[in-house]
Amino acid sequence: MHSANMLLKKILRSSVLPFAAQHGMKKDLFPLSRTLSLSLCLKQDNSCSPSEKLDLDAWKKVMKSGLQEEVNETVSERKELSTLAAAREILEMWRLAGRSVPENISEEQLKTFMECPSKSAKKKYLKYLYLKELYKKSDKRKVDEKRERRLEKLEQASKTDDTRRNSFVCLWANCMDRAYSWRVAQSMIFGQPLVFDMSYEKDMSIREVANTVRQIVLSEGCNRRSVDPFHIHFCNFKDDSLYHKEFIKHYREAWGKLLITVTDQCYTEVFPKDKLIYLTADSPKVMKTFDHNKIYIVGSMVDRSIKTGVSLARAKRLGLETAALPLEKYLLWNTGAKNLTLDQMMHILLTLKDTGDWKAALEFVPKRKYCGFVSKPVHELKKTLNLINTLKLGKRQEEVRKQFAKNYSKKLTQK
Amino acid sequence: MALFSQTSQQGFQALLWKCRMFWPVSRCQQLFAVSFNIPNTEKVSYFSFMTSSSTALPVDSKGTDVFPTKKRSEIDYEEKKGWDEETKEISEGKLQFSSSVGAPKKRLMSQVLSRHKFTSVQPPEKPLQPEEWNRLRESFRSPEIFEEVMFNSMVRCNSPIDVAKSLLTHVAKSNGDIAYNLLIKYLALCVQQGQISEIRDVYDIMKIRFKILESGAYNLLIRGMSNSDQWRMALTLLEEVKKIMIPSRTNYESCIKAASRHQEMNLAFELYHEMLAKDLVPTLDVLQAFFDFSRGMKGAELQKELFGILLYLRENQIHPHKTFVRSIKLWFESIPGGNWRGHLTSIKDSGQCPVCNHQLEDSDLSEEEYNNLRERIIKDVIHGTDTFRKTSPQEFEAFQAFVENRLPFDIVIDGLNVSHIKPRKMQCENLFDAVNCLAKDNARLLVLGRKHMLINSSNWKREIMKEMQNKADFFFAENISEDDAFLLYATLQSGKHCKFVTRDFLRDHKACLSDSLTRHLFRKWQRGHQIVFSPSVEGKHINFLPALRYDCVVQTTGDTWHIPYKDTFEEKYSYQVPRKWLCIQQKL
Repeated sequence: MHSANMLLKKILRSSVLPFAAQHGMKKDLFPLSRTLSLSLCLKQDNSCSPSEKLDLDAWKKVMKSGLQEEVNETVSERKELSTLAAAREILEMWRLAGRSVPENISEEQLKTFMECPSKSAKKKYLKYLYLKELYKKSDKRKVDEKRERRLEKLEQASKTDDTRRNSFVCLWANCMDRAYSWRVAQSMIFGQPLVFDMSYEKDMSIREVANTVRQIVLSEGCNRRSVDPFHIHFCNFKDDSLYHKEFIKHYREAWGKLLITVTDQCYTEVFPKDKLIYLTADSPKVMKTFDHNKIYIVGSMVDRSIKTGVSLARAKRLGLETAALPLEKYLLWNTGAKNLTLDQMMHILLTLKDTGDWKAALEFVPKRKYCGFVSKPVHELKKTLNLINTLKLGKRQEEVRKQFAKNYSKKLTQK
Repeated sequence: MALFSQTSQQGFQALLWKCRMFWPVSRCQQLFAVSFNIPNTEKVSYFSFMTSSSTALPVDSKGTDVFPTKKRSEIDYEEKKGWDEETKEISEGKLQFSSSVGAPKKRLMSQVLSRHKFTSVQPPEKPLQPEEWNRLRESFRSPEIFEEVMFNSMVRCNSPIDVAKSLLTHVAKSNGDIAYNLLIKYLALCVQQGQISEIRDVYDIMKIRFKILESGAYNLLIRGMSNSDQWRMALTLLEEVKKIMIPSRTNYESCIKAASRHQEMNLAFELYHEMLAKDLVPTLDVLQAFFDFSRGMKGAELQKELFGILLYLRENQIHPHKTFVRSIKLWFESIPGGNWRGHLTSIKDSGQCPVCNHQLEDSDLSEEEYNNLRERIIKDVIHGTDTFRKTSPQEFEAFQAFVENRLPFDIVIDGLNVSHIKPRKMQCENLFDAVNCLAKDNARLLVLGRKHMLINSSNWKREIMKEMQNKADFFFAENISEDDAFLLYATLQSGKHCKFVTRDFLRDHKACLSDSLTRHLFRKWQRGHQIVFSPSVEGKHINFLPALRYDCVVQTTGDTWHIPYKDTFEEKYSYQVPRKWLCIQQKL
């Protein structure tokens, strides 16, 4: 059965044939084999008499003739489907219609899809799954190609049969890990603390929490590899929270062995209040230098829907000092929000800690968000910006120039 | 051009290819301006070249021979090879990556979207023989998606249906089957040209071939059938859709229009109510269709229904557009024995209709509405999820106490907003002028500001501030607090007579309110209580436009109707008020 199918697939161009793998294998097979033979003889007919007048409705005949038996079957098969199965069918039809719908969808995902509150939410979710599937496929393909290449190399190597002897046992990764761990262990005792505030769970959707955790995992990784790591604290961390679940997903059994401090206490209980500085983009105060005796707090939040002032409100409530990165001062800002991802934040803080050089630190701000460093002569940058804006906006140049002047005047813009 | 290294050129083209051509130009330039140090003149010439190039992707030379494209300016790229590599097409089964430049993620996205970007295939004029199609297909750069692209361009160019049929025949003969998406595209072409018998045929084939259809096909089918004399078929299709999902509002729209076109008003209204029950928002088109097709018809029931539509407009504060209003007018005038007369007019500031001298409803809220709005402003706008976001509890309490001690105010002024009226003047002078202008008739003023205004600076002179404080009460909030929320609170606390002054549209505060009913209330209150500056900024004095005294909604007294309307078709902002009205009165 299956091999016959494969054969058919090879013969026909499978991209055009809707092969619904889940259902109707049996049904698909007969008509296909029929039409296959039919189309073959049709082709022969054509080759015999190319001058013949074109029959425009031939396609209808083809479509109907090949499917007569199926009609009877489908009619007899018509029965009430469960909602899930019905949803699955609709998705399949959407996929055939060329929408961004994943080929395979699990029961869980299907339930999530059904629970989406609106049509647009459903569309977005499907597109997300579809892209995920594409990435997965292409990754798999790359892995396969790599393997093939490696095998080829091996074959060639075996032909030459030239095994080099090496006195070192290859344990690089292991050694590196150990070295990093030592460093982080030292920072746990002597290092400067850095706090991640884990109290934003209720402000976020499930997807945002997942993104947050991913960013924190990245930050933890780059902290571990740095020359002089921070001592990372997760404060306000509740057990069995969504954060916790996501972390377990990422770290698995390594979660218990991580060299960080996790506590359900608030940072104000752990550290003296006057030493804490809450980093938030909404802060009116701008950070001038990195202070090695202060303890910086980063809010672990991803806000896909912009939530202005949430973290500033936290800091205000606890009466903490706040600071924002001096992005305006050092970068000719172009587009995008000034809130950075947690791993970018981590990179910037680490660089500041090691070098104190703002230019080097702000290299980690995404390049698309700014046009250049203000360390260049400003009038040159102005020219560039003006040129860009002239092209972008045409007539509104005056306005933009004013805006520019406003942004770069010494005082803060006030309403 | 000669300055580029090969890789930068390629990367650049990749970027160009990824972006749609409208706005990314600027982005490319920035990248450009930053990444290569090229003198200005060079840059400008390069960009002008970019903007003059068309949005279409260049097809390789073979393709251009076959389809003489009209709307494409030829572009000569030096790095032909690089370009081709960048624009390589993929089929979903096998993604191809050219491992040169650019992030793979973006690349993937662009490839997913790439099939929509093909715009440069010209469909043939006449039906072709299978072998001719084959030849075309072979010459096309990515044969896997040739049919899809071809059908898309047929729909765009509205090709003759026979051409599409010949392609379908070719596909059917070579594959023994036609994919669903091609059938849909063919259906779209048929609907576009109103080929009813074809639509029916496609529908039959689809029903045979597939267990269920999806929304896109149903949309097309319903639209196609409803415009024909077999419009009842659309109704049965609608029933079919209901079995598997909630029909879209356009489905209902087609059916309702079809029913009312054939004078089946009862059926049309039945569908309309069903639609409202499903929380679908009818388009203004549908509502207009009701008025258009019931012209000259008799019947108390029908009249009641149409009045119901007018009241729906009132409830939802919808301002119909000009053509819709004309339909309404014509319907009223066509009611047999109704003696209605309509006039287009504009209402005076006093709120009197110049045609029938009727005084329009005033914009005051009822006691209950007013209290409700005040509660909601405090709860949603000021406190929201966290009081600290806009103010702090201590500050808000202090402000409440401050307001309670000095009630009632007549006018509340957003100091900082007013101080920016004339950019050439000092900020405190602007504020001073405004306060002087508003302080006539012993009105009690409250000015809201922030603490930085108290610090003597070039913009805020202490003497002038002192003088102002004799004329009005001042409250200074923290520099990081929201003063607008205080403005709303103080105005609402002072009572119905109190107005406020700001140029702000208060959109973000409206958005904080959680349900649409309260938002409508807020807008109504805003229209009646907001004083804005008159736009003539010339001259010394600051002039203010008084708040609207009358309410801008559809209104009736039984024998008169007043309907505000928009001049233009496009949606106006919710804070803008139409000035034009339709006045309808019944001469008994």
